Amino acid sequence: MKQEVSKKEVLIGAIVAVFLIAVIPGLNAFTPAGSSLHVSDFNINLWGQYLCLAIVAVSIDMLWGYTGLLSLGQMLFFSLGGYALGMHLMLMIGKLGQYKSDLPDFMVFLGYTKLPAHWEPFAHFGFAAFAVLWVPGVVAFIFGYLAFRSRIRGVYFSILTQALTYAACLLFFRNELTLGGNNGFTDFKTLLGFDLGTPGTQRGLYIASAVALVLVYALCRWLTLTKFGKVQRAIRDSENRVLFSGYAAANFKLFVFVLAGMIAGLAGALYVPQVGIINPSQMEPAKSLEAIVWVAVGGRASLIGPIIGAIGVNGLKSWASQAFPAYWPIFLGAMFVVVVLFMPRGVVGLPAQIQEAWRRHKRAKEATAEAAAAATQVPKDSQS
Amino acid sequence: MMRPYAQRSLLFLAAVAMTFASLVYADESETAARQSAARAILAPESEQATIVQDMAANPSPVLGPIFEAWQRSQVYIYEAPDGARIPFILMPADGSASKAVRIDNGEPLVGPDGAPIVVDETVMKPAETFAKLRRAMRSTMDLLALADPAPAIRQSAILKLGMKQSPEALPILNARLAKEQDKAVKNGILDAIALINLASPDPQLQIDALNQLKKSNSIPSRELVAKMAADETLSPKVRAAASSTLKAIDNHLFWVDFFGTMFRGVSLGSVLLVVALGLAITFGLMGVINMAHGEIMVVGGYATYLVQCVFGSGVALAPFGISVNLPGFGFDPNSGIYQSYFLFALPVAFLSAAAVGILLERGVIQFLYRRPLESLLATWGVSLVMQQLFRLIFGPANAPVYSPAWLLGSFSVGDVIMNYNRVFVIIFAVAIVVGTSLLLAKTPVGLLIRAVMQDRTTAACMGVRTRKVNTLTFAFGSGLAGLAGAFLSQIGNIGPSTGQTYIVDSFMVVVVGGIGNLIGTVISALGIGTVDQILQTSLRNPVIGKVLVLVGIILFLQWKPSGLFATKGRGLEN
Amino acid sequence: MSKQFLLAAEGVTKSFDGFKAINDLNFYLDKGELRTIIGPNGAGKSTFLDLITGRTRPDTGTIEYKGTPLTKLREYEIYRLGIGRKFQTPSVYSDHTVFENILLGLEGSRSVWPSIFSRVKPEQRERIYEVLKTIGLADKAELKAGTLAHGQKQWLEIGMLLAQNAELLLVDEPAAGMTDEETAKTGELLLSLAGKHTIIVIEHDMVFVRQLGSKVTVLHQGHVLCDGSLDQVQADERVIEVYLGRKKKH
Repeated sequence: MKQEVSKKEVLIGAIVAVFLIAVIPGLNAFTPAGSSLHVSDFNINLWGQYLCLAIVAVSIDMLWGYTGLLSLGQMLFFSLGGYALGMHLMLMIGKLGQYKSDLPDFMVFLGYTKLPAHWEPFAHFGFAAFAVLWVPGVVAFIFGYLAFRSRIRGVYFSILTQALTYAACLLFFRNELTLGGNNGFTDFKTLLGFDLGTPGTQRGLYIASAVALVLVYALCRWLTLTKFGKVQRAIRDSENRVLFSGYAAANFKLFVFVLAGMIAGLAGALYVPQVGIINPSQMEPAKSLEAIVWVAVGGRASLIGPIIGAIGVNGLKSWASQAFPAYWPIFLGAMFVVVVLFMPRGVVGLPAQIQEAWRRHKRAKEATAEAAAAATQVPKDSQS
Repeated sequence: MMRPYAQRSLLFLAAVAMTFASLVYADESETAARQSAARAILAPESEQATIVQDMAANPSPVLGPIFEAWQRSQVYIYEAPDGARIPFILMPADGSASKAVRIDNGEPLVGPDGAPIVVDETVMKPAETFAKLRRAMRSTMDLLALADPAPAIRQSAILKLGMKQSPEALPILNARLAKEQDKAVKNGILDAIALINLASPDPQLQIDALNQLKKSNSIPSRELVAKMAADETLSPKVRAAASSTLKAIDNHLFWVDFFGTMFRGVSLGSVLLVVALGLAITFGLMGVINMAHGEIMVVGGYATYLVQCVFGSGVALAPFGISVNLPGFGFDPNSGIYQSYFLFALPVAFLSAAAVGILLERGVIQFLYRRPLESLLATWGVSLVMQQLFRLIFGPANAPVYSPAWLLGSFSVGDVIMNYNRVFVIIFAVAIVVGTSLLLAKTPVGLLIRAVMQDRTTAACMGVRTRKVNTLTFAFGSGLAGLAGAFLSQIGNIGPSTGQTYIVDSFMVVVVGGIGNLIGTVISALGIGTVDQILQTSLRNPVIGKVLVLVGIILFLQWKPSGLFATKGRGLEN
Repeated sequence: MSKQFLLAAEGVTKSFDGFKAINDLNFYLDKGELRTIIGPNGAGKSTFLDLITGRTRPDTGTIEYKGTPLTKLREYEIYRLGIGRKFQTPSVYSDHTVFENILLGLEGSRSVWPSIFSRVKPEQRERIYEVLKTIGLADKAELKAGTLAHGQKQWLEIGMLLAQNAELLLVDEPAAGMTDEETAKTGELLLSLAGKHTIIVIEHDMVFVRQLGSKVTVLHQGHVLCDGSLDQVQADERVIEVYLGRKKKH
């Protein structure tokens, strides 16, 4: 992967960004429904969701692809962001809920008469929007600080992040947390005064998601080019060496972990008003693993790979879980096994992989031709 | 709460069967009892309750079943052609028709011609009962239970009498005390007498009673004693004795709770241990993160289920729309051979899980030995596939695996209740751990496994076929998972996603225990299980307890990042 | 102790699973000294460097650098005191370019924020190329380090030490896997650094040790057997015994 940003890359990036941010919503808003160019309201909403998932995928790639930290709990941070905005959305329902109360329905149902104190600030959009970033950030900081300080690495780190999201999932299922228990939050009505049920609002959310994705991509791309990015990859390849070069690897890892957590939180906050629900099942360990699949399929350590992977796998899922629901999990699982075994660089790395294989094949052939008697062994390419 | 009840009704049924057997050979007291029962049934409503109450003075084991049948509206009255009214009970006979048995003498009901009368129970009207009569029958039955052959029934009847605190029961209890042989029941009678005497107006009797209850640490009396300790109308001496008894009982209760919690903790730890042991082999010894471990376990569970079906009436499965019929031997569910199906299921579970393990190792894991993160991901993919296959083959619902009757019920040691299945869990875990460590320590195969796990390259240089040993080790670890699945089927459910519920916990056990050390796994499993139970008991909230355990594990790793017993490596990148 | 040593290890013991890798080791090093440590396999040479650099912690004993105890510090903190290390097996970032490898070793801030916002300044670039010239890899600056030959990787790792400008250099078997010519060049490089830096070299190659011509310390079973010039130690009975096993022990 190139270490400098070429003009070509900026140009292509700008074109894709304009396409995502302006052209697609434009096609939705300004072309008639029958037109072949028209993008339906349904698809705008669907693509808005995909873009949010792509943002999570980028955050996972920053951790896994660039720093070698395989976090199996990234959807926890996504959910935390979703819950933070969800609390605001619940308060915005106001008296429109079933119980016609100022309190969210589930609180009325549980017999609350007064809004719990920690809910009150979420009535302000600004506070909620800020919480979308700092709540996941703080959780990531505390966990990351403890984990990295005690040098928990590799699969240990993965297993612990899985335990973390599992614990959080159990916790959020409880009603005592006043976060809606297993039903979570749903039946949202308005955001910033806009009716969430209208196509216009959904288009706005789509645009916000597209802008967020472009900004997150640009931020991460820039980070990987700085010296920070070089240290990041150095930690991935040889953490001990980094320590003996005087870098406090734990601080770098903590920074990436918190940043990735906040990015995932942002994605969750954009996702929730588009799907209209957030509940603890988003924190189930399997959800986070599924997100890893997107990155693996798209190709890690490339930033563009995870985006392609997230959109591709989820598009496939939307179609396949309708067309053959019984076999979709088998297909997903098998795809994952195949990608891990045979395509370590994912779809994005496939051309290079084929090229290399071809070159090796040719070289081997030449070598055989040169020394017909001696059988030359094909050097196996060890994956980093 | 269900268990003791189930057990009691089971014992009761046994008593019923015994009494029916004795119907034929009725002795004199029985005859008398039968005749008064018949009289009570035929008596006018106003007299029935009194007759029933008086029958307590003339106990006989036949009365229980008769009253029981009467209350359940299973007693009928035959109007003979000569005008006599004969009460009878319907007994299940060999054929389809029921056999009528006379209550007054226990003989079959015959017509004037001497031929048994065949009764159609659907058209007969049963002898009626009413609330007051039923109450009288119950209290008579309680008294009758004092003479029951089963000590446990006598115990509970005695306790019930004592808790009523009615002095009328004192002579009955004293009479029973003189006859009683069973030591535990004798103590029970003393306690019951003491309980009744608590309500006595005589302070000395009260104090004696309190001392008796203190001596026996009687938990059921706690509330009555506490009330006395707080009752200001009582004399200070009595109150002091009551407080002292209360203290003793509370102290006893604390230890009962403590040991109960420890016992449950150890049994939960044993479950974790059995589940995590296979993982300790594959992850701990081989460094392979097998996220499909839970599903391999479930393979063992389903294998157990299939063995059970084969012992029973077979099963029809429809994987992928193809219907497969698995015939069964059709053993009677109550027969010994059916009850012991589990013993046959164990090797089947082990072997089928090991076979799946071999497929997994050869097909996926062997390519990923140096890439632990990738092996984690690939095996997760496999686990997804397997879960869905289970769903397609066995259906989305849990497989109905029945535990043998000998796993139900409980016994108690000094008021600490021990469920048989929890004891079974512990014994099973001990057996499996001992077996595994013996295999690793004493057999040539174990030597090979340990050699390869310690230093793959050196072992290979010494001529060990590491590939084979890898496969073998993985198969062994998977087989253990299969045993765990068989075992879980006895104490929990087996369904397509059962594996997922255990995977996080069992990884935690291995992480805390440390890599490559079975002792670490054992200690960590028991430790996590006990802490979990203590937190659950003291917080009365299983989820918060579980979350705290996970937080505790993360904090524990601050102190010992590589687990309890880490074998320290000297490699550069470890 | 009247004199302030640059590095002083006293009574250091470290055991792994009951095996005493370092046993009551005492070692003193003056500022500006070049010292070679030799010893048979398993003598505890690399473990000693691990203990200095914080890779492992001693069970007992103290290690002080300029009077600062090292035994409680983390690896990067020890590095920041001015102690650099080259590992036995070449350990470079194989996915980074040669240039980037030196850049990561370059002296300067090691914190997170500066690493994000600082650019490579022209004088830093100059310094990197200077180092690359010294180690003969200037023309390979943009190649990935993983593609280098074994000897070149060794040089690159030495280059990272140079860029770091550490006061104390710990060099573990620099000549391993090098041709004679490369070995000689490595020796020259180390000699040119001596005086400006304090250097500990661990080596097996006696020709190379002779070329360095420094004071030699012989380690055996985690303990200092003797020290002196190469000729002196080679004449020492005990050294001959542990290397050649002529006499039975005890």
